[in-house]
Amino acid sequence: MKTFVIVGIFLLVFVWYLTFLATRLDRLHHRVETSWANLDGLLQRRAAIALEIARSEIADPASAMLLTAAAYQAREASIENRSAAESGLSGALGLLLADGQSSQRPAEIVLLRELSELTDKVRIAIALHVDAVARTHLVRSKTIVRVFRLAGTAPLPITYEFETDVL
Amino acid sequence: MLTRSLKIGIVCPYGWDTPGGVQNHVRDLAEYLIAAGHDISVLAPVIDETKIPDYVTSAGKPIAIPYNGAVARVLFGPIAFARVRQWIAQGDFDILHLHEPAIPSISLLACWAAEGPMVGTFHAAAKRQKAIFAIGPILEPVIEKLSARIAVSEAARETLTEHLETDAVVIPNGIYADRYRDGVAQAQWQTNTLGFIGRFEEPRKGLSVLVDALPIISRFAPDVRVFVAGPGDTKDVIESIDPQLRSRFTFLGKISEQDKANFLASISLYVAPNTGGESFGIILAEALAGGATVVASDIPAFDSLLNHGEFGELFESESSTDLAKRVIDLLRDDERRIALGKAGKKHAQQFDWKVVADQIFSIYEMSLVSGEKVRLASENRAWSRFIGRDQRGDA
Repeated sequence: MKTFVIVGIFLLVFVWYLTFLATRLDRLHHRVETSWANLDGLLQRRAAIALEIARSEIADPASAMLLTAAAYQAREASIENRSAAESGLSGALGLLLADGQSSQRPAEIVLLRELSELTDKVRIAIALHVDAVARTHLVRSKTIVRVFRLAGTAPLPITYEFETDVL
Repeated sequence: MLTRSLKIGIVCPYGWDTPGGVQNHVRDLAEYLIAAGHDISVLAPVIDETKIPDYVTSAGKPIAIPYNGAVARVLFGPIAFARVRQWIAQGDFDILHLHEPAIPSISLLACWAAEGPMVGTFHAAAKRQKAIFAIGPILEPVIEKLSARIAVSEAARETLTEHLETDAVVIPNGIYADRYRDGVAQAQWQTNTLGFIGRFEEPRKGLSVLVDALPIISRFAPDVRVFVAGPGDTKDVIESIDPQLRSRFTFLGKISEQDKANFLASISLYVAPNTGGESFGIILAEALAGGATVVASDIPAFDSLLNHGEFGELFESESSTDLAKRVIDLLRDDERRIALGKAGKKHAQQFDWKVVADQIFSIYEMSLVSGEKVRLASENRAWSRFIGRDQRGDA
């Protein structure tokens, strides 16, 4: 009888721990989704601004073409190719801005300021997303999580690699 | 920036009516956000509940525990937890901003009790602590609920990475730079004067390093005078000063903001000899904003605030001979002293609340993307039902 009670209590604690882990994992997946939605939104806005810059006086025809192509690529990339495409766009923007053309027209100054503000936000959004993904990977790699399939059908989040130095 | 007004809950872990950097930060942030049109509720431990502003909710009386080389006035326990849960359930917040959620306090309890958009700010910078390692596995599942982490300095960020293996965005503490911008130089505080502001009785503020340096400084600069501003009992400090040099020290007591601005604009050098326990160095940022040339110890927080000496002179921490040498060099070189002060004043503008609050707000925006509200965590809801307590009643 005594052993039954002990085994019973042990099982109860164990089940509680499993639900605790599952809740924790669920929250982490949720955090990854939120941080990705945020990053995705910011990147979309960046592509839109890049297209506007390509059409403005800031860009010469050659860079305009390059920038337009990169922006479209970034917008249409699948989630696996996304980071490569976004890095390409960062590169194209970097090339154009490194030329050091300082525009005097107010409309263009506004555009460039908007881009630099957005770049700061993207940098933070990447850090938030990378942290959420790393955390999720860490918890999902626990043996107990794998054995009991606590992650359910949630896909393993993709690590987002971004060349921060071109940003 | 979001145009709609947000309902923001801020949790301050330390006693609201006790002096301290975190409390000042929370108060300034809350007042800035209220002025920007947001609805703010601050939950904090309070000693005297009759003297708190409207936006503060008391979580009970704080208890004093020794932490990180000082006495921290914090609060935890079942009653505090019930109040935290009630505050969250009734607050209907869009976002929670928890300060210092990694120490045992109501911030940690709030992080435990809530789910939804939550931002945490980490203030402390401490060396590796065994105690935190021991409770790390308990803290981790709680801390990872935060959708974004903010560290107030590079040093605080490193502490966080070391102890909890998680990264943070660095956003400095805010100051009202314009309060110090237009100080008027006062003759009584000018010419070969050294200034010190702070609770000088605390050993970690390092006034004794300056006291020990003065015999050497006065040999090379005979007319040097030291002004110490800040609350505290002067008796012990005066006794520790060489009797021949006592006349060089003037204790001003606590001074007003206007006096502080004038003071910073007048003194030849501002000395910050802190020996540690400092995470950001708000007073240093204010001194820079007031146009003072700064000589500070090379503790990590000051080193990064002054960008390795670009915006102020650094001396080897706790070495009064090195402090004396740097002070003498600068007192003799007016050109360099004034140039440093100017560069520092410009540098300090990035710590202005206008800039800092914008950065914090953009972190809020990023956490709000999920479109959810803050609510009690599922396990707490179940628990409240189980023990038959109505969340919205007076638990």
